[in-house]
Amino acid sequence: MELILEQMPVVIHSLNIGFLQTLKLFFVTLIGAIPLGLIISFGSMSRFSPLRWLTRLVVWVVRGTPLMIQLLIIYYFPGLVLKNNWWGSGETGRFIASSVAFIFNYACYFSEIYRGGIQGVPKGQQEAGMVLGMTKSQIFFKVTLLQMIKRIVPPMSNEIITLVKDTSLARIIALQEIIWAGQAFLKGSQGISGAIWPLFFTAVYYLIFNGILTVLLGRLEQKLDYFK
Amino acid sequence: MKNMKKIWAMLLALTMILSLAACGSKKETPAAEEKPAAEQPAETPAEEPAADSEVAAIQSKGTLVVGITDFAPMDYKDADGNWIGFDADMAKAFAESLGVAVEFVEIDWDNKVLELNSQAIDCVWNGMTLTDEVTSAMECSNAYCNNAQVVIVPADKADQYQTVEACADLAFAVEAGSAGEAEVDALGYNFTPVKAQSDALMEVAAGTSDAAVIDSLMAAAMVGEGTGYADLTYTVGLNSEEYGVGFRKGSDLAAALNDFFAAAYADGSMIECAEAYGVQAALIAQ
Repeated sequence: MELILEQMPVVIHSLNIGFLQTLKLFFVTLIGAIPLGLIISFGSMSRFSPLRWLTRLVVWVVRGTPLMIQLLIIYYFPGLVLKNNWWGSGETGRFIASSVAFIFNYACYFSEIYRGGIQGVPKGQQEAGMVLGMTKSQIFFKVTLLQMIKRIVPPMSNEIITLVKDTSLARIIALQEIIWAGQAFLKGSQGISGAIWPLFFTAVYYLIFNGILTVLLGRLEQKLDYFK
Repeated sequence: MKNMKKIWAMLLALTMILSLAACGSKKETPAAEEKPAAEQPAETPAEEPAADSEVAAIQSKGTLVVGITDFAPMDYKDADGNWIGFDADMAKAFAESLGVAVEFVEIDWDNKVLELNSQAIDCVWNGMTLTDEVTSAMECSNAYCNNAQVVIVPADKADQYQTVEACADLAFAVEAGSAGEAEVDALGYNFTPVKAQSDALMEVAAGTSDAAVIDSLMAAAMVGEGTGYADLTYTVGLNSEEYGVGFRKGSDLAAALNDFFAAAYADGSMIECAEAYGVQAALIAQ
């Protein structure tokens, strides 16, 4: 116990740096994947069938293969096959490659949630819009999209919470997020070696952050409750 | 309205092109991984004087990117966050002799060959045991340090396990793909592969395995009095092995490093550096 207290400041400092990286990846992924998912969902609902099937094929591939493999391919493929490692070696390159993998992967999951949300809005709503003389884009943005947002909050909350924990997969391409930081003490880092507790302690960070997210997303759901 | 549709179609087409590229890569990757393996037998015996010298390439790039892990006393961070250690200091000196800057990048040890071949790093310099797998996948320098694989057991039971034979009934935890795993496997002992040497130690500490096999240099730093594993100790050594530095297959950097090692050993700077990190006993004459 005394040993743990002694190690605490160094470990917490290092875990904080790792968690900052985790948060960065989390927010960048959300900012990129939320709009990209919408574009992909339009593709998968397109009336132009080749585009529709192509989009669904891509979504199938991305959802059907492990994110860990996608990370490895995205980071190592350019250097291994194209003989030009455009990501660079340092932390920045690894972060950008992770972001690309996460955004694309999560956009595909989001697109299916959007599709469910859009298709779940009763046809009568659009017909009512047409009767009122709204244009198609007005109907989409003011009738369908608005109701879709309310419907997708619970499934999106699920994915968002999963995303927080999935960011740890990026350690496979040596992105130094919080699990990496915790594991470093297991082997030995900054004079502390063989410390097991930091790795397990990382769970506290995830738990607290997910607690905050759960509350915020719950509030959002309540706020959107005025549509019935 | 029609315009809007066109814009969407264009945007989507763009997305698709990008994603197709991603699909393509998936299919090609297995081939890519096989490629270096297929090329090796042809390249190794030929020992062609690399058409494009990597020493020159590094010098024009201006940086030598060194792939490492946090592994005291070879590579670790000082209080200010700078990389030090026997390997780190020698890498700095080697880069200086080439007239380039040095950049240390922490890698996932399992992916060292991937990192090297994808040009994310230029060398692996981190107390790497020269196993057959390593020498067939990388252009390696001469060995510069001795090491051994030792058995780790709880200190209170150590006196029962002082010989290789006495350890026969133990359930071992070993790092997957490590020299330790090869030793235990060859002896026919019961073992569980885990992800890292440190995980193997955790197994013993938690009692989920009876014993672990790890590097002696690491064991000296990590178990016993005053470490995180005060209740563990190391007993018998299973084999002896050597550390080397790995470069891309066919790279002339390995030869350049051998020359550098010879010069640094001759002028005593290598021994001095080894003494600073307490590894002088393991140093190999160059």
